[in-house]
Order: sequence, then C-alpha cells, then structure tokens
Amino acid sequence: MSGEVATTRTILGSGPKGTEDPTSPFSASQLTRLDEALTLSSLESGLPFSVYIGDLAVPTRGSAEELFTRLTDDSVLLAVSPAQRSLHIVTGPKSALRLPNRTCALAALAMRASFANGDLVGGIVNGLRMLADGAGHA
Amino acid sequence: MSIVQTLLVFVGIPALVFLLLAAAVFGKSMVRQPNRYRPGKAWDFAPRWYVAHPEVLNGPAIGSTTAQGGASGEW
Repeated sequence: MSGEVATTRTILGSGPKGTEDPTSPFSASQLTRLDEALTLSSLESGLPFSVYIGDLAVPTRGSAEELFTRLTDDSVLLAVSPAQRSLHIVTGPKSALRLPNRTCALAALAMRASFANGDLVGGIVNGLRMLADGAGHA
Repeated sequence: MSIVQTLLVFVGIPALVFLLLAAAVFGKSMVRQPNRYRPGKAWDFAPRWYVAHPEVLNGPAIGSTTAQGGASGEW
C-alpha cells in the first residue's frame, strides 16, 4: 500500500522521498487521504492544487507567495506552517478568477478550526474539498 | 486461607483488573503514536510540498507566476 502511495504523489520540497521514512510527519494512511483529496480536487476543478507543510520565513504571507511563484498561473497553493500556526491560501492570475478571496477565506476558516483541534490532515482535506467545490467544475 | 491466597485475591485480582482497564484505555496510544500534532507543539519535520498525481493534469510543473489573491489564517 505504501508503495502505491509513493507512486501517486510527488514531493517537490527538500524532504526525502518515500512513505516508509520515519521523518515523515504523516502516517501512510494519512498520506493516502491527503493524496486522494489532492488528486480529486485537482481533477474536479481542473486547477492543480498543491500543499506545502513546513516552516515559512517571516513575513509568512510573502514567503508563501514566493513559493507560489514556482507554480503555474492556474495553481492553488495551501501553505501550512504548524510551528508558526499560520496558514496561507495563494491563488494565481488564472485561479483567482475561479476562486475569489471570499471562497478562500471560508476554506481558511474551516481549516483553522481543524488545525486548532490538532487535526492537520483533516483540515487540509476539508480545505481542499471546499476550494474545489468553490471553484466548480473545469 | 493462607496469607498468600488472601494477598492474591484481595491485591492480585484488583491489580489485574486495574491493569487490564489501563491497558484498554491507554494501550493503543502508548504502542503507536503516529506523529500526532498538537497546537503549540514543536514541528521539527523537514518542509514538504505535496502535489496532485502528476498524470491527472499536466502537473504543476515548476513554472513562474505571481500570486494574485487568496486568504490567510492563524490558529
């Protein structure tokens, strides 16, 4: 199962690849949920979603926007920094047309509620679902 | 009843019941705790960036763009 997870997701960051590695912040089943949510929301909305989890340089918003510059115009980035307890949703020139800031704010609110309860994966999955619903079908 | 039997019945059995209950309540989380995050707890994992299945779309290939909008939050 874990091998399958590894083939269906890609890690762009600096972290080591593979799900078996103990430095992974998530268990294999959590990674499966994350992967499913990412794949489904990207497929349904046609917008490539990506999730960054890790520390952000201060100011965190600027740091998240800098990460976003490495993506494409229609991408949506969810940047979560558990240590700094901050989250940012970043949209680009094309994805902002489909996802107005109000929709993003609603998803951020739902994610905050889950994160405050210590449920990182649940919050991300909910946020992705709300953003994909807000963007509608491709 | 010998003193050993008395001890077994009045100390051994309650202790056994107590241990069974404690194991039922705390056992699972003591054996395996999958990196549970709690607000305020330190996060000492390397940064990770997860993207969707690359074949679903053309994939968010490393491109260049500018941020347009979005939302932020803290908890």
